[in-house]
Amino acid sequence: MILTTFPTLWLTLRQFAAGRATRVVAFFAVTPIMFSLVYLFDSGGSTATEFLGSVFNEFLAPTIVPLATLILATAALGNELSDRTIVYLALKPVTRWRLIVEKFIGTFLVTGVAFIIGIFITWALVAFGPETPASSVLPAMIVSSLFGVAAYGAVFLFFSLVIPRALLVGVIYILLWESLLARYIPGIRVLSIRHFMQSIFVHWIDNSRVTIPQPTQLITAIIVLVAVVILSLILASLRLRQMNLD
Amino acid sequence: MKNNQHEDDRLTAMVAATATAPNGDVKAQVARATVEIEHLSKWYGDVVAVADVSFGIGPGITGLLGPNGAGKSSILKVLAGLLKPSAGEVRIMGKRVRSDVQLFRRIGMVPEQETIYSYLTGREFVRWNASLQRVPDIDGATQRALMTADLGDAAERRIGGYSKGMRQRIKIAAALVHDPDILVLDEPLTGTDPVQRVHLIQLIHNLGAEGKTVFVSSHVLHEVERLADRIIVIVNGKLAAVGDFHAIRDKIDEHARMIRVKSTNDRGLASMLITTPHVASVRLDPDPQSLVVEAEDVRAVYRLLPRIAREHGIRLFEIAALDDSLASVFAYVTER
Repeated sequence: MILTTFPTLWLTLRQFAAGRATRVVAFFAVTPIMFSLVYLFDSGGSTATEFLGSVFNEFLAPTIVPLATLILATAALGNELSDRTIVYLALKPVTRWRLIVEKFIGTFLVTGVAFIIGIFITWALVAFGPETPASSVLPAMIVSSLFGVAAYGAVFLFFSLVIPRALLVGVIYILLWESLLARYIPGIRVLSIRHFMQSIFVHWIDNSRVTIPQPTQLITAIIVLVAVVILSLILASLRLRQMNLD
Repeated sequence: MKNNQHEDDRLTAMVAATATAPNGDVKAQVARATVEIEHLSKWYGDVVAVADVSFGIGPGITGLLGPNGAGKSSILKVLAGLLKPSAGEVRIMGKRVRSDVQLFRRIGMVPEQETIYSYLTGREFVRWNASLQRVPDIDGATQRALMTADLGDAAERRIGGYSKGMRQRIKIAAALVHDPDILVLDEPLTGTDPVQRVHLIQLIHNLGAEGKTVFVSSHVLHEVERLADRIIVIVNGKLAAVGDFHAIRDKIDEHARMIRVKSTNDRGLASMLITTPHVASVRLDPDPQSLVVEAEDVRAVYRLLPRIAREHGIRLFEIAALDDSLASVFAYVTER
């Protein structure tokens, strides 16, 4: 069914199922579980909601979500460009826009599912502990992460079409920009996808002890991330249309 | 610089000479062609891969012949829309190929590179191609394409485990699955064994006979000889010759060529051959022990050798053209 209706998406899912990149993403997605296990032994005085808020704001949003998404987003078309199998896609009566969108959906689905599972287990372990976290924490973590996966996925998919070593450049961007500069320098905070992910998260759980400096309004954050996705996909399809596929 | 100019002049002269061959009027061919290439140039930085090439291709089989690095693959990739031309234009059915993706419904391409999605089975790969082409009966078309490429038995195996020849055949099956009008085949016989080669040559002949426009590249002269009647010769990115294969081959055959002969009596054979008007020189080669004949008329020598051998009780073990490589042929062509 997927093969006949969305052949590029089908190929992307098969590509991810066969590759090592998906296993690395799965590993990233389940790393918060380790923190939950530690929390079960020693809460360090944090409430369950505060603990999960910290996991999201300090660990998932600035590092894990962008890194995991980077791996699959740059592999989605990057692998086909490097091994030149892109010709089999390019020589088909399919618009470049559709190729890009199906590649993006494939990246979003696989990375998104990995994070839903990882976040759910992390939350469940904490919920089994002495204190139950606020009911809004689980959906807030999942929805904010999915927004992040979508925005980073589209941006890194575009990166893979314009930068030869997109994975390396992406890692540097995440570690330098998203995890460091945009986190601590107030003026450039709004130039960070992480900031808008965290804004959605803190507005959703609405807890004064779980917050970030100067969060953007919920609706604004959602609009910005959706705009980032659409703009990146448009640029990626324009780029693919112009490229020499040698 | 002077040498380049000299070579340009020779090439221009050769194009002019061959353009008058039976199918050789370039302008007329462009006018009636399904694929039109006009003043195409392609360069990569400072390297010129294709320089101001114009020709047209109509239904039937056309061979694109040239040594490695001559610019054949660049021409095919521009034709298929994979590369943007640096200058000039490529039109298929009157449309610019990169401006309309729907043209790909009418084109099937077998690219040169071996890499295919190794995690898919042969059937999945062909089926996926059929889906992207929006073929109405996907399963039926897939099965037909697999059978045409003689891959029915290996269809359920992963492409990662395929031999080089099987990879070539699965690419051909994928290119044929939507029954395209135009087929672009970049070195399709590479890696195939002799049996597969015969099968593929027959398949390509059938496609040409069905009225499809088949454009097939090769750097091996005898491959193209068996595949196409009409050829386009590319040397150093420039059009060196266009026309009927045999007319071009005859021009080549007018030149002296080297032939190695192994027999039971090389010395005796040499003494008899040197007295004929078709042989310019002979020499005995110690390694491998054989006779090297420089022929004035290679076809006459090929006819003569078995007769002389029979008449004098000499057994022939091998007759092989030493300079039948494409590079030598191009040297002859471009020296004219």
